[in-house]
Parts: sequence; structure tokens; C-alpha cells
Amino acid sequence: MIEKTGVPTKEDIEEITPPKEIREKQAVAVIECYKEIPCNPCYTACKFGAIKEFEDINDRPEIIYEKCVACGQCVIKCPGLAIFIIDETYSETEATVQIPYEYLPLPKEGDYVTALDRAGRPVCRAKVVKVRKGKHPNMTSTVTMAVPKEHSMTVRSLNLEDYFADNTIICRCEGITLGEIRQLISEGYTTIDEIKRISRAGMGPCQGRTCRHLIMQEIRNATGQNMEDMLMPTFRQPTKPVKLGLFVGGEGDD
Amino acid sequence: MITTEIAIIGGGPAGLSAAISAASLGAKVAILERDGRLGGQLIKQTHKFFGSEKQYASTRGFDIAKILEEEMEKYKDKIDIYTNATVLGLYEDGVLTIEHNKKYMKMKPEKIIVATGASEKFLSFPNNDLPGIYGAGAVQTLMNEYGVKPGNNVLMVGAGNIGLIVSYQLMQAGVRVKAIIDAAPQIGGYLVHASKVRRAGVPILVSHTIKRAHGKESVEGATIWQLDERWQPIEGTEKYLDVDVICISVGLSPLTEFLWQAGCEMKYIPELGGHVAIRDENLETSVNGIFIAGDVAGVEEASSAMVEGRLAGICAANSLGYGDDRFEELRRDYTEQLKSLRSGPVGAKIVSGLSKVTVKKQFA
Amino acid sequence: MRIEEHPILSFENEKRKKIKFIFDGKEYEGLEGDTIASALHAAGVKVLGHHYANNRPRGFYCAIGNCSSCLMTVDGEPNVRICVEELKEGMVVETQKGKGELK
Repeated sequence: MIEKTGVPTKEDIEEITPPKEIREKQAVAVIECYKEIPCNPCYTACKFGAIKEFEDINDRPEIIYEKCVACGQCVIKCPGLAIFIIDETYSETEATVQIPYEYLPLPKEGDYVTALDRAGRPVCRAKVVKVRKGKHPNMTSTVTMAVPKEHSMTVRSLNLEDYFADNTIICRCEGITLGEIRQLISEGYTTIDEIKRISRAGMGPCQGRTCRHLIMQEIRNATGQNMEDMLMPTFRQPTKPVKLGLFVGGEGDD
Repeated sequence: MITTEIAIIGGGPAGLSAAISAASLGAKVAILERDGRLGGQLIKQTHKFFGSEKQYASTRGFDIAKILEEEMEKYKDKIDIYTNATVLGLYEDGVLTIEHNKKYMKMKPEKIIVATGASEKFLSFPNNDLPGIYGAGAVQTLMNEYGVKPGNNVLMVGAGNIGLIVSYQLMQAGVRVKAIIDAAPQIGGYLVHASKVRRAGVPILVSHTIKRAHGKESVEGATIWQLDERWQPIEGTEKYLDVDVICISVGLSPLTEFLWQAGCEMKYIPELGGHVAIRDENLETSVNGIFIAGDVAGVEEASSAMVEGRLAGICAANSLGYGDDRFEELRRDYTEQLKSLRSGPVGAKIVSGLSKVTVKKQFA
Repeated sequence: MRIEEHPILSFENEKRKKIKFIFDGKEYEGLEGDTIASALHAAGVKVLGHHYANNRPRGFYCAIGNCSSCLMTVDGEPNVRICVEELKEGMVVETQKGKGELK
């Protein structure tokens, strides 16, 4: 009952969800304008004829997916901030969701944020992949987030509060965050060694003494592996930072 | 005593639109604005307007005020602007008494367009007069015009368009909105506005009202409770909210004092916000030569107020003999625009209200 | 409580001229473009007076000159609606006693 809650129902959302064949092929605008209001800037904003001409100004916008190039003009022109762009072709596992954003501070590209659903509830963590700052006089910015593909039609908002604590530092030496570790695990890097090699977490001056345990916990949390069964990485010398010169002469009193 | 052809009371969206359209047909116009600047409440509207290009859709309200002022520049030899000019009275002989820059002044126009807008309604609950309880529009003025936050935590009472928009604007200013409540069983404003605040995590509670405000010298909290289907509060559903601001957004009432003073025939129409004047299709009231436009004619969106202003402007000008060649065409255009803005489900209430106060034939 | 940054508007507070005024004997500072009410609110003053009969605290309600809930004495003149009165350098603003007295 969107009239009571402001949140569309499953049926409301199904009605505006682009067909699977389209989502698999291209990025598209998703127009979440669930009730007739006298308003047509989305139609006048679209230079590609992807929004059907209005017969009456109260018509609900209808999108012609094949013509939509996901340029985002309608996203920043819609007075209701009710248009989003989803791109399920972004990667094997992830989709991007571009949302209009009119708050400060703007997140930065590369930040992890908390992706929220239509009721403002945390859904998952999201990496900000693009920020388009609003230009005068329109001023509406947009933020594009990468989220697991199954959430492309769920995520519609974001929160900088870091609900999932993704910006927590795990590896102090190399500055690797919890978000980055989680991301790697979700991509299939599920051993300490793999994570170390791809991210350098555990390769800094402390040699993993500080972060290894935390990384193991994350692997356990995500995969259910037992910590006692986990493959340990290869331990190499030196165990503390030393000058290269120390080794050059070999053993001193030889 | 100053004379002019058309005096327009109010320099908001309706008044400025009326001035432009009347002057464009050749009439001499005087705008009387009580504030120090023009634009009325457009100045504090930071959201993009709905409607179509003709009503500046997708442009932010304060930018529309600039566009209207620029448009007036074209007719500056026809339009006299009086700011800091509060009309004090409108007499039956058509004389206006005015306080202009703190001096007394009288004006005798041939026609008058009353475009005074509306004022915010108040709500009855214990402690409703505490400092920190503000009209939603007041909060908008404070934030968007003067750059001052009303407080830190807000309860918004009313989920109509203004309540929803101001909640959003509070968040943009960095203020927390704890909840939006509305006594009605469903959200009154546009659902796109509701969705926008919901996905930012603000709860909207329909069938809820405020039981009382708490605080000694200013607001320290609020208790809300739920209403049953007969709008009666349900004991035991009370919730305490830790807020320092309570925002009241329960609608607007047309500012009709001048119409009463002039002897216009008035009628109470809830759909239009309260008492409004009986008018014909040209927006002329039962008193010959007095026209109305904008919220004073019935509270609705600023988009319609601007079109009504245009319509009243050409009608007043034409009644003085201006623009015979273009009048009918313009009138058709504005009437069509209004019809289309009001044609959907949201406009139904307005249309029903207007049908009770609009008379077919022009008054003799 | 000024808004320092805003996604849509730019207030440029640092560029606005500072305006000094006196409120109930104490010096306050507002910014160019302020009304008396906005300057006081920015300084944390919400209570603008007390009702002449029931002594309940009064703040503004509408902020645009309709409700007359914000009447104060300004430069000796009582019953000034401070929500629409532009702040000027050196103004003396006083909480009004009773219904205000003409001096």
C-alpha cells in the first residue's frame, strides 16, 4: 500500500521492472512513478524518444527500453527524483544502480556506502563507482553504486553511515578495509594467501600479525570455514623491517 | 492619491504572472508587495516543479522567481513595482490604503487583481504554542532563505506535499526528521515525494496524530498516538519522540481579507482551503473589476497559481480594452493549461471545489 | 545554527557582512540579509517573549509576517514583526513587556 507507506509493494515494483532479456543486454532507466501526477519533464528530457509521448500530462511515463541509452538525463530532470538507472551488465556478479542524490556530503568514488532499499533499510554494502556532481541550475547529483546483481531492483538509496562497517581498517600497514576484504571473498578469494596476494593485506611491515586473525574471521563469517582448518599463508623472513645492508655482507663474524 | 490601470496585490507567482500578462497586452500595472523583494514563497522552494515546460517544470522554485523577474524587465515601462508596500485596506469605492516604506499612501486603480496567497493553518493540541513549534513554511523560510537550521530533530505533522517536501529539505540542511505523521489513513502528497523521504529512512505514520508537545520554554519532545478508522485516538499507542522542533503542515488558508472588505461574495470550500470568492471563468469576483489568482482563489500548486495569474492578467487588461486581437487565443491557452494541470486524480479535489464557486457567466 | 553547506543553495556565509545588534542588553551578531528573527534563531534564541496575559513563552509560527507571534520592541518601537524586519547594524531589540509601550 504505497498510499499508506510511501513504499511501493512487490506488485508495484514488478510492474516497472524491465524484462530480464533487456536487463541482461543493456543498462536502462527504471521509472518509479507509481501514480498519475501532472508532470512530464522526463518525456521532454529524453533526446532518444525512449519515453512515450504523453497524451495527457497526468499519464504515467512509459519507457521504450530498446531506445534507452541510459544517458541519465531523465534522472536529473525528474522533479520527483523517481528515476534510476540499473546496469546488470556491469560484471559477472554485480550490477550498478545510479540514483539521484541531493544531500551533502557526496560520497567519493571508491568509497563503500550502505545501500538502502525503498524504505531506507540497509540491504548490502555498495562500492561507489561514479559520482556526477550536479551542475547549476539543475544541481541534482547522481551516485552510481555497484551492488550484487540480485539487488539491482532493491537498492534505491544510500547511507554514508557505514552500517556494515566496511570502511573499518583491517590491515593497518596497507590500509585495507573490511569492505575490500569482503569484496574479495565474494569474488571467490577465500584463503588468506589469495587475499594477501591480490590486496597486499598481510604483506606490510607487520607481516600479517595484526590483520591475519581478522581476515580469518571474515572468511569464516562469509564461507562458514572453520578457523582451525584454514590454510595458513607461507611465512617468510624477515619478521621485522631491516635494512637490506644487513644481509649484504652475510653473517658478520664469519 | 496614485492612480493606475491595474493594481496587483501580492508579488508572488500569481501576482508576477498577472503583471507580465496584463502588461504584455498593454495595460499599466502596479504591483504591491509587502515584502522587500518579489517572488513571494517561490524564493524558498528549492525543489523542482512539476507540470510541463509552460509552467517551468523541472526548474527549481527560486529559479522560477528569477525567470519571472527577468520576464518583467521586458515590460518595465508598463509595470510599477512597490516593495515594502503592505496593503492595509480595500474600500468599497475601490481605493487601496497602503503602508509603503513606512509611509501612508492611497491608490485608486481601475481594476484590482488580488493575489495575496495563503497562510499556514494551525493545529490544536496541548502545548501547541511552545517556541520550536513552527509552520512547515516557516521552517522553509528559515532554512532556504536565511540559511538557519530550525533545530536538530524534527517531528513533521502532515504528509501532504508541503510536509513531505519540507521534510526532505530539512534532511538536505542536515537536520534529522524523526517521523512524519498524518491523521489521514493515507499519504496526501505526491507519492514520489513520499518515496524520496522513505528511502532516506524517515518513517511515515498514517492514522497518527500528535497528542501533546513537551517542554517548558521551548519544545523538548512530543507524544504521538494512533487513530482508529473513525479518527479517534487509541489509548496505549502513545510513542514519545525526542525532538526539539515540531513542524505543522496541515494545509493553508487563503488570505482573503481584502475580498471580504470589498464585499465579494464568499463561500466556504474545504477542498480549496477555506473561504474563497465566487468567481467567473475569467477569475473576476462578484465585485466588478476585482479579480483573483493563485492560492487566494483556492489553495493548490504554484504551477496553477502562475497560470491563473496569466489568465487574470489578460482578463483584467482586456476588460480595459487591451489586446482584443490576442485575448481569445491566450485565454484558451491558459484555460487549457489549467484544465490539464487539474485533470488527473490529484486535481480531482480542486476541480470539485472549483465547480462550487465558479459561475458560468461573467458578472454584469 | 547556520547551514554551512547545502546541496542546492549556496549561502556564502563567510562572504556575508557581519551585523552587530543588541538583544536585551547583550551584543549579538547576525549576517547581512538576516531578519531579526533569523539572526536570533541562528544565535539559539527561540523564545522571543512571553504572552502579556498568560505569560506563556512565544516564538514565531509563520516567519513570513502573517501570525504576528513574533512581536518585539525594536529601537524603541513596540509590536514590530521581527520575522519580516531586516536586521540593521546597531539595532536595539528588546523583549516586549505586556502589549508594548509607546515611548
